[in-house]
Amino acid sequence: MTSKYETEPKGYTMTTVMQEAARCLLCEDAPCSKACPAHTNPAKFIRSVRFRNVKGAAETIRENNALGAICARVCPTERYCESACTRAKIDGPIDIGGIQRYVTDMERKENMQILHAGKENGMNVAIIGSGPAGLQAAATLRQKGYGVDIYEKNAKAGGYLTYGIPEYRLPEAIVDYEVQRIVNLGANIKYNVAVGKDITMDDLKAKYDAVIVAIGASAAKTIPMFEHNICTESAISFLARAKENKGKLDDLPDNVLVIGGGDVAMDVVTTLKKLGVTHVTDMVYEEFSEFKASKKELEGAQKEGVTIVDGYVPTDVRQNKVTFKHRKIDSEMTITADKIILAIGQKVDADGLDIDIQHNEIPFRKARFHTKDPKVFATGDIVDGDKTVVYAVQKGKEVAEEIDCVLGGQDND
Amino acid sequence: MIKKDLSIDFLGVHFENPFCLSSSPVGNCYEMCKNAYDAGWGGIVYKTLSPDHFVIDEVSPRFSQLTKEDTPFVAFKNMEQLAEHPMAQDLADMRRLKKEYPDKVLIASIMGETPQDWTDLAKLVTEAGADMIELNFSCPQMTSHTMGSDVGTNPELCKTNCEAVKKGTNLPVLAKMTPNITTMIPVVKACLEGGADGVSSINTVKSITDIDLDNKVALPSINGKSAVSGLSGKAVKPIALRFLQQIRSAAGLEQLPVSGIGGIETWEDAAEFILLGASTLQVTTAIMQYGYRIIDDLTNGLMHYMDEQGVDHLKDLVGIANKNILPTNQLDRDYKVYPKIDWDKCIGCGRCFISCQDGAHQAMDWDDDKRLPTFDKSKCVGCQLCALVCPVGAIKLGLVEMKPGRKGDPAKVDASTFQLPNAEN
Ligand SMILES: Cc1cc2nc3c(=O)[nH]c(=O)nc-3n(C[C@H](O)[C@H](O)[C@H](O)COP(=O)(O)OP(=O)(O)OC[C@H]3O[C@@H](n4cnc5c(N)ncnc54)[C@H](O)[C@@H]3O)c2cc1C
Ligand SMILES: Cc1cc2nc3c(=O)[nH]c(=O)nc-3n(C[C@H](O)[C@H](O)[C@H](O)COP(=O)(O)O)c2cc1C
Ligand code: SF4
Ligand code: SF4
Ligand code: SF4
Repeated sequence: MTSKYETEPKGYTMTTVMQEAARCLLCEDAPCSKACPAHTNPAKFIRSVRFRNVKGAAETIRENNALGAICARVCPTERYCESACTRAKIDGPIDIGGIQRYVTDMERKENMQILHAGKENGMNVAIIGSGPAGLQAAATLRQKGYGVDIYEKNAKAGGYLTYGIPEYRLPEAIVDYEVQRIVNLGANIKYNVAVGKDITMDDLKAKYDAVIVAIGASAAKTIPMFEHNICTESAISFLARAKENKGKLDDLPDNVLVIGGGDVAMDVVTTLKKLGVTHVTDMVYEEFSEFKASKKELEGAQKEGVTIVDGYVPTDVRQNKVTFKHRKIDSEMTITADKIILAIGQKVDADGLDIDIQHNEIPFRKARFHTKDPKVFATGDIVDGDKTVVYAVQKGKEVAEEIDCVLGGQDND
Repeated sequence: MIKKDLSIDFLGVHFENPFCLSSSPVGNCYEMCKNAYDAGWGGIVYKTLSPDHFVIDEVSPRFSQLTKEDTPFVAFKNMEQLAEHPMAQDLADMRRLKKEYPDKVLIASIMGETPQDWTDLAKLVTEAGADMIELNFSCPQMTSHTMGSDVGTNPELCKTNCEAVKKGTNLPVLAKMTPNITTMIPVVKACLEGGADGVSSINTVKSITDIDLDNKVALPSINGKSAVSGLSGKAVKPIALRFLQQIRSAAGLEQLPVSGIGGIETWEDAAEFILLGASTLQVTTAIMQYGYRIIDDLTNGLMHYMDEQGVDHLKDLVGIANKNILPTNQLDRDYKVYPKIDWDKCIGCGRCFISCQDGAHQAMDWDDDKRLPTFDKSKCVGCQLCALVCPVGAIKLGLVEMKPGRKGDPAKVDASTFQLPNAEN
């Protein structure tokens, strides 16, 4: 039996997706499409569904977004496309993510091959990191005829798609499938190679016409008082373990304290609950009104029965006992837990890559995506813009376009 | 994006794709036609021109729609007549369109009252650069019996008018048929005798869509009164397909070039017209509702269909379904197909039970406790009404059985049926 952790919510059927597509007003100059950071063009693919051209809908999604099946599942749509949807003025926005999922599921079932590699143009690009930004850049470059090698320090591709976002929201099979499509386009992925350690940046610069740094923010932030605490684990470490083991963790205690109030914290608390942990308490710095997590994620966590306490900061920790103080009112609370998970953000680890990182981002000098080295480009979470998958896709496309401009390989445009 | 060649030759004219605007307000002036060409339509039948001496004086409002549940435009009724612009202006627009879009097809639709009108109009539109002429024998809104659909039910008049047109032009000529007739065959034959090269089918169906219950007047209400007038849109598709099939299977007309019209909205509708013998297609109502942009999914969807069918030329699909439509007395009546209920999919709504009980043969029973339909084969006639009403597609075609006393191998019976809405439920 598949566990709660592994179970993805049910998707649409042909009948129900048509009902949802029929709610779409097919707006002029559709605001939903304008609000999609990656320009996936929801208005166009929903229209295709409405006119019973599901295959055409899949083409629209794929050609604009090489990770369309992933975005369908993980995009914070309430902040992007659906936030702009005109239908909300009547009742509620169109479930754009759900329709996108239906279409990409159909594409998978039909084994459609939509993207094709361009004619080889003789130039080669190295990409460091196989997260969404690196993968999208690879797809765009392959379509333009560039040779692409991706260097990935982990054993699997996908970055946080594989080692972060929980299985019940993004099944590993989906990520594998999307990665395979990009490999089928002719991108090579070299696994278990950490650039800066196993191979130097200079080697890459010598071998390739351009190098893209797409390393994401892969290290966990911490708070000094928790640094050597043996009861503490970082959110990303915990989520990575849960995903790799399909939720079968043998060190799950009964009582877990989570600190943090973003989407990652919500993933942690929801995962804990789905794995059967009885007492999950989440202590959050922000008050509910200023919460960072998306409403959907927050509701999901609350539905699972997580206790969320807002407005508290940790002031002291002794082994597994943490004391919190409220930021505004006079209140103190001490919680003893079997395990403490810190979900307070991620930071960039660019050791050995010789790129300057300030506040977890690369400051751009001239055009976007350029680093101080004319041959080296940067994209994904380490450049300016939202830190989400769909933004990583957009930045992946744009860095590829920028490189194509610089290298002048316009044959396949 | 898929690329397939959708081009087709029709009456000696090359169409980059089979999709045209049908003669109506959607192609009523230079700007509109230009926008349609730019959007990707292969051809345009320009709104019907009539001699300047007929006064076109339209009512307002002029439309009403038939709805079902929350679906608008199931069918669309219009009370519109012909192009309102002075003829010189329309001719100038047509000339400019042909000059700027030499590779797109421009078809002139005309309607005269006397044979002389028909000859004169044909001459004028030929000079203006049209590639083809369509004769409007079928508008049901005309105020005179010598015009519109009354002409289209009169073979003699059609023949005379075709002859008159041929005097004014050497372009290919299409006669546009009215469905307000029992059979089109004599009219089609008369048109061909008169010199027409092919037909367009259908124009609108005479109708009343709805009645204002308070004011007791049909809609639209024109100062408290209304009139019978033409219905178009999705609901007329079955009627259009029927006429198309009948024309293309009449002796001697099997190869008749036909431009199919009536309720085309999706690529599937288009494919249906092609399979029943249309080589080009025309659309109005769906454009009035959704705009020229529907061409994207019409063409792209048709390309995917060709790809699935392994077909490189659209012409290879034209008319290939006609042979499978037979007179009712020739159908195989030797077997029954029982429904097969998938209990895992069933959500226990009981719609199948209700329909079988009140609309079929009481072959379903209902288990109140389990909320599940149960099925009694001895009473079932195999009508499959239950399968049509099940909201989750839990009922499929099941066991095939020969009727008592009939010979045949049930395994050889092809009882398959494909309906996209229920697929993959
Ligand atoms: C738990 C969690 C949940 C999230 N949920 C969502 C969500 O629901 N929706 C959403 O839109 N976003 C979500 N995000 C954010 C999203 O995952 C990131 O914005 C996105 O993955 C960034 O993409 P990227 O390609 O820049 O980097 P990453 O996905 O971080 O990928 C970077 C890759 O580079 C590799 N790498 C790093 N250094 C080296 C090196 N030196 N040599 C070789 N390889 C290297 C890493 O191993 C990794 O594979 C979530 C993030 C986390 C942590
Ligand atoms: C508003 C309106 C005006 C029309 N005007 C004409 C016309 O001028 N000449 C003509 O031949 N047909 C006319 N038609 C009929 C259409 O060309 C077409 O035959 C019919 O609408 C069926 O196609 P559809 O279901 O795609 O709309 C008109 C239809 C509508 C709805
Ligand atoms: S904004 Fe909403 S209603 Fe309008 S086209 Fe987009 S999804 Fe449809
Ligand atoms: S459709 Fe256009 S022309 Fe017709 S009534 Fe509405 S606004 Fe006026
Ligand atoms: S109609 Fe379908 S879902 Fe409803 S009871 Fe019958 S089989 Fe079950």
